[in-house]
Amino acid sequence: MIIAISSTGTSLESNVDSRFGRCPFFIIYNTDNDSFEHVENQARQAMGGAGIQTGQMISDRGVKAVITGNVGPNAFKVLSAAGIEIYSGISGLISDAVQKLKDGQLKGTSGPDVQSHFGTGGGGGNS
Amino acid sequence: MIISVASGKGGTGKTTVACNMALSVGYCQFMDYDVEAPNSNFFLKPDIKHIHKVTIKQPYFLSETGADFSKCADFCHFNAVAVVGDEVMLFSELCHGCGGCLLVGPEGAVREKDIEVGEVRKGIAGPNIDYYMGDLKPGSMRTISIQGDMDKALNHDGLVIIDCPPGTSCSMVFSVKDCDYCILVTEPTPYGLNDLKLSIEVLKDMNKPFGVIINRDGIGDDQVERFCGDNGIKILEKIPNKREIAEYYSRGESLIEYDSKWKDRFKAIIKEIEKDIGK
Repeated sequence: MIIAISSTGTSLESNVDSRFGRCPFFIIYNTDNDSFEHVENQARQAMGGAGIQTGQMISDRGVKAVITGNVGPNAFKVLSAAGIEIYSGISGLISDAVQKLKDGQLKGTSGPDVQSHFGTGGGGGNS
Repeated sequence: MIISVASGKGGTGKTTVACNMALSVGYCQFMDYDVEAPNSNFFLKPDIKHIHKVTIKQPYFLSETGADFSKCADFCHFNAVAVVGDEVMLFSELCHGCGGCLLVGPEGAVREKDIEVGEVRKGIAGPNIDYYMGDLKPGSMRTISIQGDMDKALNHDGLVIIDCPPGTSCSMVFSVKDCDYCILVTEPTPYGLNDLKLSIEVLKDMNKPFGVIINRDGIGDDQVERFCGDNGIKILEKIPNKREIAEYYSRGESLIEYDSKWKDRFKAIIKEIEKDIGK
C-alpha cells in the first residue's frame, strides 16, 4: 500500500507537518517494500484551493492513505471521493507515524478537523 | 465627477464621510461598492424601488458521458475543479466562472448554469440621491461580479460618490478605477497610517489624485499629519473624536444632524476637489 505523509523535510527523520494542503513536502511511502521517495508540494504556493490541488496530486499518485496534522473541508472532500483513508491529528517523526500505521495503532478520521485556510499562516483580512 | 471614498484600514469612517457628503449636496449618484459589508443604508435610509440578482456562469459536468475532465482540473488556476478516479468535483466558491472548462474540457460534456452571487438594490435617498447598494451573498467571493454589475449604471456626467471597501485588494482597485478623485479616510494611529500608506501606493500606481480626511482626530498621535505634511498630501478635513458624534452614528444619524455646519464643510470639500482637478 502507498501512503503519503505531509512532511517538514525530505527524510523519514523529518516531522509530520501539521498542514495538509500547504506542507512543503510529502513522503510517499510504499509499505509493501518499505521504500520511499519525497515530492515537493507545488500546491503550497497556490492562492486558493491548495488542499484541493494537493488532494488531486495525492490521488493521481495512487495513494491509499494519508497521514497528516490537519485536513480542511475541501481537501477532505477530494480525498474521500478518491477513497483515500485519512489519519489526521498526527505529529512527531515520520518513521514513528509509519510504524504506528503498520502496527494498526492509527485511527481513521471521519471529518475535516480544521476550517479552510488553516495552513495559510494567519492574517486573512480583506481579500 | 466621480469621487471614491476609500481607506486602508477598515472602520475609519469611509461610510460616514461618503454618506454625509451625499446628504450635504443632496443630489448625486451614491454607489455602495463595499459589497461584502454594505451599511450606507443605515445613514441614507433609501427607499428601495428595485432589486435584481447578480449571477455568474459556472460549469457543470455531464459525468454520465464517461468523459475525462482532467483537463478542466489542470487548467483551473483557482483549483476549483478536482478529478479523482472517475469523479469530477466543482468547488463552487473557488470558481471564478471564466468559462475555461468549456474550452479545454471534453466537447459537449461541460455545460454552464447561472449561480447567484448576490444582488444590487436601487432606490432614492434624501432629497435626490440616486442610490445603489451591492450585497454579496454570504460565502461567495465574487465581489467584482457585483461591482461590475453596478459599474454599468455609473453616471459619468454627474456627481458620483462611491463608498469603497477597505483594504487595497481587487475590490478596492475596482472601486477607484473610474474616479476623478479619491478621498482617503484615516484615523491618526500607527495602524491608520500604515494602511494609509498602502492605499496611497495603489492610487499613485493608478495616477489618481487624492486627499486625506482624518477621522476621530485626537485619539492617537501626530504621525499621519506629519507624514502628509512631509509628502505634500492635502488634508481636506479633520473630524474630531467626540462621544456625541459616535452616539449620533450609532443611531444611524448623520454628522449634519449633529451639527449643521458640517453640511457647508462637506460642500466646501467638493468645491475644493473640483478646483484641484479642474472640473
